Amino acid sequence: MKESNLKKISISAFFIAIVFFGYLVYASKMSSYLSDDPKACINCHVMNTQYATWQHSSHARDARCVDCHLPHDGFFRKYKTKAIDGWKHSKAFTLNSYDPAIKISKEGAVIVQENCVSCHKSIVSNIVINATKYHNFKDPELITGRKCWDCHKTVPHGKVRATTTTPGNIGVKEVK
Amino acid sequence: MKYKYLLIVSVVAIGAMIFLASSIKGREKERIEINQGPEIAHQDRAKNEAWERYYPRQYSSWKKTKEGTDIKDMLKAKPQLAVLWAGYGFAKDYNAPRGHYYAVQDNRNSLRTGAPVDSKTGPMPTACWTCKSPDVPRMIEEDGELEFFTGKWAKYGTEIVNPIGCYNCHNPKTAELEVHVPYLDRSLKAAGLPTFEESTYQEKRNLVCAQCHVEYYFKKTEWQDENGNKQVAKVVTLPWKYGLTAEGAEKYYDEVGHTDFKNKISGTPILKTQHPGYELFKTGIHGQKGVSCADCHMPYTQDGAVKYSDHQLQNPLNTMDRSCMNCHRESEKKLKEIVARKYERKDQLAELTMDNLAKAHLETAKAMEVGATDEELKVIRSDIRKSQWRWDYAVASHASFFHAPEETLRLLAVGNEYAMKARIKLVSVLAKYGVMNYSAPDFSTKESAQALAGVPLEKLVKAKLEFKKTLEAEWIKQAIARKLISNETLKDADKESSYFKK
Repeated sequence: MKESNLKKISISAFFIAIVFFGYLVYASKMSSYLSDDPKACINCHVMNTQYATWQHSSHARDARCVDCHLPHDGFFRKYKTKAIDGWKHSKAFTLNSYDPAIKISKEGAVIVQENCVSCHKSIVSNIVINATKYHNFKDPELITGRKCWDCHKTVPHGKVRATTTTPGNIGVKEVK
Repeated sequence: MKYKYLLIVSVVAIGAMIFLASSIKGREKERIEINQGPEIAHQDRAKNEAWERYYPRQYSSWKKTKEGTDIKDMLKAKPQLAVLWAGYGFAKDYNAPRGHYYAVQDNRNSLRTGAPVDSKTGPMPTACWTCKSPDVPRMIEEDGELEFFTGKWAKYGTEIVNPIGCYNCHNPKTAELEVHVPYLDRSLKAAGLPTFEESTYQEKRNLVCAQCHVEYYFKKTEWQDENGNKQVAKVVTLPWKYGLTAEGAEKYYDEVGHTDFKNKISGTPILKTQHPGYELFKTGIHGQKGVSCADCHMPYTQDGAVKYSDHQLQNPLNTMDRSCMNCHRESEKKLKEIVARKYERKDQLAELTMDNLAKAHLETAKAMEVGATDEELKVIRSDIRKSQWRWDYAVASHASFFHAPEETLRLLAVGNEYAMKARIKLVSVLAKYGVMNYSAPDFSTKESAQALAGVPLEKLVKAKLEFKKTLEAEWIKQAIARKLISNETLKDADKESSYFKK
């Protein structure tokens, strides 16, 4: 192949790749993941039940998904978590490697626990002070290893939250 | 050489992106399919049974509104009512409300709707159907709003057959909350409030109820039909221009010169309150805290693994574990006692006000009998009008004593004050004509009160029973033939009223 032909073909292929990438950004609603809109979490249908149970809970009025599920102590950690979780979610969704009953990861649970404490500071400050004795938030293996929702079982997604739990709910229809 | 690498990288990237794009496309299709609710056929939207297939839990809980069948004749329980409403339909027949399931049947059975013999006779306008049925929005859509609100009640006897149900509050395609009567948004705008669509989800869970559980009147509206004939529609309108309060509504009614009826005993131009449940609820503590009607009256409930909202709308004291106990950590018994005490307080004041009002009407009648002029009675009648409006506003809606105890007691106290003012003035008017020790005749039973109000009860009942045998039977026959409703749904509806029991 002539050098000039190769140049033409490779540059056009590169441009096609760029345009295709642009299309992918659009088709996957990529930019929505930079927002804090809860609807971004039901771009695909996997979290419909989590969305619906949250939307019908008392937390819906003041707390969005990211308020509980992302860390709040700085830009770097927030976006690192976003990137890691985003990678895990898209991998699981693309390869279909997730269970119908979704459970939070160990790392995710640590973040949510931090956020429970940070929002409900005035109420739980005493509990936090005594945490080393009675409630260890970090290590579930310990006998004192407890998270808030080990007792507050229904907060905020309810006790029953598999895919069949919320048929015909309104939340998922907000995304047309 | 470097172009070779560029080409290889680009081709590999394109290949990977084709895989991703096809995966995204496939999944997006999946999502749309999953998110698509079942669609209720357009022609079946007003038929409650048509929704059962797709929303079995909601439907069967809705159907349970047929429980609690007892008819409570309010004119028997509070005979003063017949005196207060003399000359108006409510003096004929007034029962405590029953479940949504009975809405159409109780409307047809009420002596207030009279005994029409065809589509053009009877005392009431079409507007009386407005809050009874999902067939109402269907007819407004089919005939147009002005045509719907023109003519006699009996005009739509064959069309309006399904009791309050799915289509009153839900979109038939998505089941989202939706209102289907045009007057609610109009009234919200007049009050300077956000329209239904502009409201939050939580507020929508109030506003679907506010389609009916509000104060309203029938605004006379002139229009021309397609043949150029002048018609007068009686359009349901909420008096919210000056706010959602008793005083605001009164100001509006006085401004437009509206009077519901002239009391037959005292000649007073009276405003009859409908049921300002939504307005009063908003002034109470639950309303202020952002609790919605559905939070207590349609509590979330669980059926196996499925959580849904209970559509058996009823007194939340029947569902305390799901309604009250989510927020209140007292015992059910203690809460019930608190509620009962609230009721007693209201009942005591309401009873006082009603007695004073009834006596004021009868004493005015005596003054008229002995020769008092309209001029002399003008201020007295104005006091009675104000009194009765406030009393009625406080008692006409469901459980205002609970929804808004402070506002309810305030209205009753102010109402009683106006009734007392009228009675004090009446003493001097009566004295002027030489009547010194007049005491109003007895109205302690339904019979004696209806006699004072001039209600020919036997005649009304006879005509009504004839109507039920003839025109009503024909309406139901036609509705079943047209498959608007099934016999199965109708079968328990017509068992009892204040004047018959099957």
